[in-house]
Amino acid sequence: MSQPSAATAHSNLTFIQKCKTMRGQQIIVTITFLVAPLLLLFTFTYLPFFKMVQFSFYDRDYLRVRDFVGLRNYIDVFSRSDCFQALKLSLYYMVGSVFQISLALLFATILSFKVRGSKFFRGALYFPCLICGIAVGFIFKFFLNPGFVLDTLLGWVGIADTPNWLENTAINNIVLVACSLWKYMGQNIVLFIGAIASVDPVLYEAAEIDGANAWQRFKCIIIPSIRTIVVLNLILSISGALSAFEMPYVVTNGTFGTSTYFVVMNKLAHTDMKVGLASAMAVVLLGIIVIVTFIQKFVEKKMDEADSRPHHCVADGKGGKK
Amino acid sequence: MKKALSLVLALLMSMALLTACGSGGDPGSSGGSLDPDLPTYDSLQVGEDYTDLKAELRVITHRTDLIQEDPDGRDFTDFVKEFNALYPNITINYEGITNYNDDMSTRISSNNWGDICMIPQSILLPDLHLYFQPVCQLSSIEADYNFATNRAYDGLVYGIPSTGNAQGIIYNKKVAEAAGYTSDSLPKTPDEFLKFLQDIKDKTDAIPLYTNFAAGWTMTAWDAYISGGATADADWMNITMPQTKDPFADRGDGTGPYAVYKLLYDAVSLGLTEDAPTATDWEGCKPMINNGEIGAMVLGSWAIIQMQEAGPNAADIGYMPFPITQPDGKQYASAGSDYCYGVNNSISNDNKIAAMLYIKWLTESSNFAYDQGGVPVLKSQPYPATLAAFDGIELVEDTAAPTEIASLQADVNRESELSLNADQTHVQRIVEAVITGGETFEDIISDWNARWNAAVDRYAPKS
Repeated sequence: MSQPSAATAHSNLTFIQKCKTMRGQQIIVTITFLVAPLLLLFTFTYLPFFKMVQFSFYDRDYLRVRDFVGLRNYIDVFSRSDCFQALKLSLYYMVGSVFQISLALLFATILSFKVRGSKFFRGALYFPCLICGIAVGFIFKFFLNPGFVLDTLLGWVGIADTPNWLENTAINNIVLVACSLWKYMGQNIVLFIGAIASVDPVLYEAAEIDGANAWQRFKCIIIPSIRTIVVLNLILSISGALSAFEMPYVVTNGTFGTSTYFVVMNKLAHTDMKVGLASAMAVVLLGIIVIVTFIQKFVEKKMDEADSRPHHCVADGKGGKK
Repeated sequence: MKKALSLVLALLMSMALLTACGSGGDPGSSGGSLDPDLPTYDSLQVGEDYTDLKAELRVITHRTDLIQEDPDGRDFTDFVKEFNALYPNITINYEGITNYNDDMSTRISSNNWGDICMIPQSILLPDLHLYFQPVCQLSSIEADYNFATNRAYDGLVYGIPSTGNAQGIIYNKKVAEAAGYTSDSLPKTPDEFLKFLQDIKDKTDAIPLYTNFAAGWTMTAWDAYISGGATADADWMNITMPQTKDPFADRGDGTGPYAVYKLLYDAVSLGLTEDAPTATDWEGCKPMINNGEIGAMVLGSWAIIQMQEAGPNAADIGYMPFPITQPDGKQYASAGSDYCYGVNNSISNDNKIAAMLYIKWLTESSNFAYDQGGVPVLKSQPYPATLAAFDGIELVEDTAAPTEIASLQADVNRESELSLNADQTHVQRIVEAVITGGETFEDIISDWNARWNAAVDRYAPKS
């Protein structure tokens, strides 16, 4: 950690003296405080990641390395039918995440204003996020199975002829997406409510005086002001959609065509012991997520540029930069 | 300051990276050998040798159900007490892992996981010496022990079997009787078995065959029949099949792997299984078969005890061989070792001796295999009553592959991504195919054959 040569190069102070100066103390304290978190971050995030990239070039299982195979694992990922077939399922989850964000925006906007019982609804809508994902999976497994809760409820309102929600390949993925939506929407709502709360209330008053209705206020004040948060949520949801795992794994275990990319990867790594191939799949997925994020960032930038031109909505400079 | 900081951090991290990369060992260069300082397993006299040995043992097990003290049954705490009567200075601590095979496979790569564990299936025979102490020559226990070859490599034994399983079908005797079957007229061929299920469906209210689809791992049971039970060939699983093209092809005589999986396909197509496979419940099926709401289930003999204990009708639970009869007119059943006990090779010699003593006591004196309704480990021990239906049925134990192709079965099995006996996806696919109408049984079989053939091409020795 010591840099005596650098320290003595500029002045006649010894290293110890240098350390005792205000500036030296600052440096020492900064380094000391930074080392622990950075070391933890490195050990538990970056090191495993580098290892995974390294694994992806080998034919290996957990305990045994067979050969260095170069890019063959990557070629396999792209030439196998099941990997990208599984990615197609992510489309369901992506469409679902658009619904999820829209619904979350709706609820957040309603709950941000004076509504009877808004505290209760905030809590109720956030509650699913507090339950562990595996537990949510089990809840839905029993909720959806034929003859269980959902069918009983539908029976009470006179719908007796229900499909098998988990085995009918036309709907089972949609059902699973709905389950994830239920679980993760609360998180979006909380973020949106937070963002909406930071909008200057003077703007609403001004808009009201100008005769703007609720929709116009939503479109011209709230949306532009919290756009950064909306985009962030979209990015998170899309990458979440690409890596959907809990629901298909717990509820259907990937059966009946619900095997997402992560479920396929999990099987390859843990039962077929193709750790190299699974690592390559993970790296490819990372690549896809990075690309998707860049595209979204790019679109956002374009929108910013379009925004800075004058148009019929009153652009709020303060909100836009948040 | 920023520069100095980033330099320091960069240095630190690259050092960590280098050390991390350098620490990867080089496995598999030399084989194992017996330690001359240690007594061999077969020469130990439990209760007479080393009675004042002091050691603390940590035992890792998959039997999480036996760790908690149970006042009614014999569990591990009872075993420890009985063993401590002979060896008061050996302390034994048990640790249970639910997701045993996966978790233990990862943990085993550190040296200090404990002293005794059940050797995970994922460790290939040639790699055993990297983690486990060879306890004796294979030749010295082979005559007395069933399944002694299970975790042996190059003439050395690394794992002692805990109990043995025979592969058959669990059924409810009362339901079978109501359908018109006695223990002498049980089905012996796939067609007879389908008739048996049909009779149950027609004459009783029970679900004829319960697939246990939802739990997943329960369906790997089907893979267990494609070895000796379906082929009568002890070499099939580990030696012949990994070198054979199209092993799943129809043999035309109602035997072989094809017949096993076809039975499942037919049973589901004929509506002889439960209505909604995704709604099956593993814990729920135990009292159901006990009470006669289920006719039959495909599970190894280890499951018998659990089904008997799940309700008041223990006597109704029966076990029959898989309904495949060979052209010679005889029925065969696969039998094999359950998990084997292995001793950590990086612990002190005292601990190794203590571990061997405890293992020897468990296998020879604890009555564990008999209590669990398993095939005995010692050839001299009696069979439990539950396996009575296997009287006269020839048990076929898979032979271990010779040293030069010791890992071939595992390699081909994993490369094909069927992961027979380890993963249920391929078995579930049969049920899915019937329900969704997506593919025919022949489609599935030809896909399996293609995958298996590619794996054989890659790994099997060219001759």
